[in-house]
Amino acid sequence: MQSSVTQPQSATPGSGGPPPEVGPPPRRSSGRAWEWSLAALLLLPNLLLLIVFTYRPLLDNIRLSFTDWNISSPIANPVGLSNYIEWFGRDDTKIIVRNTLVFTIATVGISMAVGLGLALLLDQKLRGRNLVRSIVFAPFVISGAAIGIAFQFVFDPQFGLVRDLLARIGVASPDFYQEPGWALFMVTVTYIWKNLGYTFVIYLAALQGRRADLDEAAEIDGATAWTRFRRVLMPQLRPTTFFLSITVLLSSVQVFDIINVMTRGGPQGNGTTTLVYQVYQETFVNQRAGYGATVATIMFVILLVVTVVQVRFMDRGKQA
Amino acid sequence: MNEFSRRGFLGLAGAAGVAGLAACAGTGTSPTTGGGGGSSNTIEFWSNHPGNSKPVEQEIIKAFEAANSGLKVKLVDAGKNYEEVAQKFNASLAGGSLPDVVVVSDVTWFNFALNKQLSPLDDLLSSAKIETSDYVDALYNDYNLDDKHYALPYSRSTPLFYYNKDLWKAAGLEDRGPKDWDEFLTWAPKLKAAAGSDKIVMELPDGSNYLDWVFQNMVWGYGGAYSKEWTPTFSDPNTVKAGTYLQNLAKDGYLKLSKDPAPDFTAGIVACSMMSTGSLGGVAKDAKFPVGTAFLPGDGNCPTGGAGVGIPATISDDRKKNALKFIEFLTNAQNTVTFTQATGYMPVRKSAVDLPEEKAFLEKNPNAKTAIEQLPKTRSQDNARVLLPGGGARIGKGLDQIVQGQDVATVFKGLDAESQQVFDSQIKSKLGA
Repeated sequence: MQSSVTQPQSATPGSGGPPPEVGPPPRRSSGRAWEWSLAALLLLPNLLLLIVFTYRPLLDNIRLSFTDWNISSPIANPVGLSNYIEWFGRDDTKIIVRNTLVFTIATVGISMAVGLGLALLLDQKLRGRNLVRSIVFAPFVISGAAIGIAFQFVFDPQFGLVRDLLARIGVASPDFYQEPGWALFMVTVTYIWKNLGYTFVIYLAALQGRRADLDEAAEIDGATAWTRFRRVLMPQLRPTTFFLSITVLLSSVQVFDIINVMTRGGPQGNGTTTLVYQVYQETFVNQRAGYGATVATIMFVILLVVTVVQVRFMDRGKQA
Repeated sequence: MNEFSRRGFLGLAGAAGVAGLAACAGTGTSPTTGGGGGSSNTIEFWSNHPGNSKPVEQEIIKAFEAANSGLKVKLVDAGKNYEEVAQKFNASLAGGSLPDVVVVSDVTWFNFALNKQLSPLDDLLSSAKIETSDYVDALYNDYNLDDKHYALPYSRSTPLFYYNKDLWKAAGLEDRGPKDWDEFLTWAPKLKAAAGSDKIVMELPDGSNYLDWVFQNMVWGYGGAYSKEWTPTFSDPNTVKAGTYLQNLAKDGYLKLSKDPAPDFTAGIVACSMMSTGSLGGVAKDAKFPVGTAFLPGDGNCPTGGAGVGIPATISDDRKKNALKFIEFLTNAQNTVTFTQATGYMPVRKSAVDLPEEKAFLEKNPNAKTAIEQLPKTRSQDNARVLLPGGGARIGKGLDQIVQGQDVATVFKGLDAESQQVFDSQIKSKLGA
């Protein structure tokens, strides 16, 4: 913490005392106060909104996670830790956590890698690149529900585009709707397709703001393209990669619309059920809002830990 | 003071995002009794417009307003299916403005009634001198809890046995549905041989799309049940027999599950299916082959389904009276015929089938007649599916597992335990309260 500003002492000329200390000029102190006031003033509206619409519901959600609240009931009875004990002991928890991990890791990893690849490609001076950039970005602004409906036709095992393409090379189409592994593959691919435009456009912006002179210097020094990518470009993209890893992770974990439209969490009950879909299922289908709140709270804790680890990881990278 | 770095800011932004996610994902509302709101001379009707019925609902509303000057009906799009209407109603119970009339399905009404969020209608009906004996008994009694009725039937359906008459003919079968599932098993090889390897003998909706509803017929057909009253009976030998039958159909290549069998059936690649009467209009219109409909196999083994309309418990008495007046109009003989003919759902009044326009309609549409003739053979579904919270989804998941080859007895034993646990924790203490 920076030391507080020393106040100038009053000194009477000719009093024979020690010479007055020379402190920072008074305007700096008032300047700090003014800066703080301005910051508070600017932050306050958003802070109030966050408190009312995010943190208060969050606390309320945590409180409800210790109750047996049926969503249609006016009464919620406290049940202690039993919802948490049930979640850790249930057979389907393992499947749902595994689905969430597979879906999240695949969507974050692939959409960032492919987004970067496309950004590198479309950063070049190619004919028609603006059109291609728009095409790549377009799915991001389409609603997930609409994309889910469209991709049902793509993956339909009787009439779908995938079936048709596979048939051309003599391969039978898997039943994407009845086999849990393929169903998870289907929703993951659909979500990556939708989200690719986001990672692409952020990486493209970062590439256009990078220092070209560093790359040129490395090239003059004889660095290979791979070395320049790894040692020159990627360090410059590190803040962007960090930003994307957090935002894509959070949006991936929240995916509901595509799963709801395409599989309703099935097949076989939990084939594509992720944690956020379980919250919906428990709260609105099984009516167990207390248990749904428990799953949401567990998800909050997991994501908080993941985010803190990511921040630490980036800080360590900065110091290294 | 430490500098507020960009990474620090991003970290904080991430944490806020995480918090927001949990807050949004959770319920975020305290369980309180709904405030009610609303106006006594405007009736708010929350519907998902079952069977694309919005135009016909608007037509009926217009007629109601003309017949009841001073009363207005506001039709609200409350979701794309029954579950979404229930979610919206739940949200309004936690403090929002309540509707006057709400669509509640065979699966969603009970939880609202049990938690005293739907008004029992019996006293209201007798004060308004509304006679209920004209409602089809099986449909009216579906909404009975502790001798009180919590909804009146509206968009009611049953499954029907649909078959492709061309494929039936090619297999040398009579132009009718199977008498029971054992007979169907003798037909299946003939159908498979006639249909060829690129066609499917029977396609049913999967466990996420109401397989548990149509399978109820198979269970009853073998003398089993999902439950007897509140006692789960999945492990009953007859229920296991039905599960094994379903599994063998899949193993032998006669059965395929899908999200929705209607497109495959209308495309002519499926020989038969069990689907809702609500699918009849679309199937009959789109199919390029003669479509046959029959009663579900077995006698008296057809489950009812669909939705009714209820009134929230906490709105004012004036609003309740007007709401009931509208419900009575919406479901009277004339309007149930209008609704039925537009959607394929079933008439909910006994006298409806005697109206000249309905007689003429049935004459022209013999497949619609099948559904009506099957109505006296319907039964209310087992509690474990329709009254236990999450019952349909739970059974559907188990049936999906059985079709995929998991041991029937083990899956059903699990369903017994889960259903009992749900009953003990969520229903038992509230019954008779």
